[in-house]
Amino acid sequence: MQAGAVRRTPAAPWININTLTVAGALVAIVAFAVYAGRHEFNLGAYWLIGIAFGVILQRSRLCFAGAFRDLVLLGDGRLMRAILVGLGVATIGFSLLEARFVPDPSFGVLPPGAHIQTVGWATVTGGLVFGIGMVLAGGCVTGTLWRMGEGYLNSWVAMGGILVGLWFGTRTWSWWYDHDISQRSAIWLPGEIGMAPAILAVLGSLALLYLVVLWWEMRTPHLPAAPRPAEPPVFTVREYLQRGWGKVFGSGAWPYLVGAIALGTLNVFAYALKQPLGVTGEIGAWSDRIADGVFSAGALPLKGADKLAGCTATEGAWWITNRTGLMLGIPMGAFLASVLASEFRVRWSRQASRYPQVLAGGVFMGYGALIGVGCTIGAFFSSIPSLALSGWVFAFSLLGGAFIGTQIIRRLP
Amino acid sequence: MELDVRGEMCPYPAMKTTAALKKLPAGEPLHVLTDHAPALSTVPWEGAKQGYLSNIVVLGQGEWRIELERASGKVDQRALLGEIARRANELTAG
Repeated sequence: MQAGAVRRTPAAPWININTLTVAGALVAIVAFAVYAGRHEFNLGAYWLIGIAFGVILQRSRLCFAGAFRDLVLLGDGRLMRAILVGLGVATIGFSLLEARFVPDPSFGVLPPGAHIQTVGWATVTGGLVFGIGMVLAGGCVTGTLWRMGEGYLNSWVAMGGILVGLWFGTRTWSWWYDHDISQRSAIWLPGEIGMAPAILAVLGSLALLYLVVLWWEMRTPHLPAAPRPAEPPVFTVREYLQRGWGKVFGSGAWPYLVGAIALGTLNVFAYALKQPLGVTGEIGAWSDRIADGVFSAGALPLKGADKLAGCTATEGAWWITNRTGLMLGIPMGAFLASVLASEFRVRWSRQASRYPQVLAGGVFMGYGALIGVGCTIGAFFSSIPSLALSGWVFAFSLLGGAFIGTQIIRRLP
Repeated sequence: MELDVRGEMCPYPAMKTTAALKKLPAGEPLHVLTDHAPALSTVPWEGAKQGYLSNIVVLGQGEWRIELERASGKVDQRALLGEIARRANELTAG
């Protein structure tokens, strides 16, 4: 028996079902974009950014929870190194926008829209709790959204936990605000050391971390990146387009690096529009609306939230806000991409104990995201490029949480 | 022996494979049933670390059976790794 041997069962006629589903999904995407765009341009635009977000994540399997977990659990740094490069790309784009918004950083004004959160015990606790939760749940909040679209039942259960955790967070927010957050300041690195030194410090730190992760990874035998097979030459426009389509939506997953660079670029687009990528503030708002509607137990507005940047849950006049488009676009984009790649499937865990585990993981993540003001995206992937100190503190707290999480799952069935 | 890890996400397919291989009676193959694409590289790699070669059967859209069988001689992990990565890449096309 050879490692390369592959046997395929005869092809089933699911192509037609897939084609119909793709057509339906595209109609829904365009219809909502047109409808939302007439209501407000940004809503339609964020919906499409959300779709792209979901497509990128599904195609590249860029799992943020896995990046932290595998570093600890398996000594595998491939995901984390890709994310560090994506952060570098986003940092360059964010810096250019911030330099334009705030020409003189020493003035004490923060760039509008940037994710510059306060730094304190709430950040550290939020990161730790979130890190534990994402390992238990098998994916971070964004990972949960994208796998919901791919058909993982576990992720739907985890989302239930996230809603509960966020709601629980809103009920205890005042304590955190009074005892920690209100006494802390949001530290924007250019405000402390100047624009150019801040950019260089962030890019230099990312490069240094890349080397550290690479060194850590090479201590154990690792799975190499797959060598790309030699391709036969193309002669016609049709062949060229077919090959390109196959690379994007067919022939296997994108390399992590491609996904991370695409996501970094998408984040710059999102910030150029209005605000960077982030989902938990919006899910928190939905959680509160549900709690308010069903149990009359809403807690918004959060004390002092109007003075904070990033993913704070804020009251909207309507259920649908700009970031709702982003939040709903992720599962929709992932659904579309997984059907296009013939990967969609309703998947449910055969092990009953997994459901309470991912539910608990969701609750942890929801709570951590609320007091840490963001998730792996809003408080990390959008915060470090914003040249905020909080992103770094949250990142190392996430790593600590992931370490605790792996110790827990090793002892669970 | 058959191990059904359908519905499970990383890192469970690989972790459960490792545990199952340790308990596997000598000479018996292990069949891992999965619907998680990343498992196509992580499960064979766990097998390779313990001296098992693998075969992947495509069962349907997004569902695979990974058949692990004890290698007769010594396993060249380096050579196998490249092969596993290449095959997983090819297979996730569906």
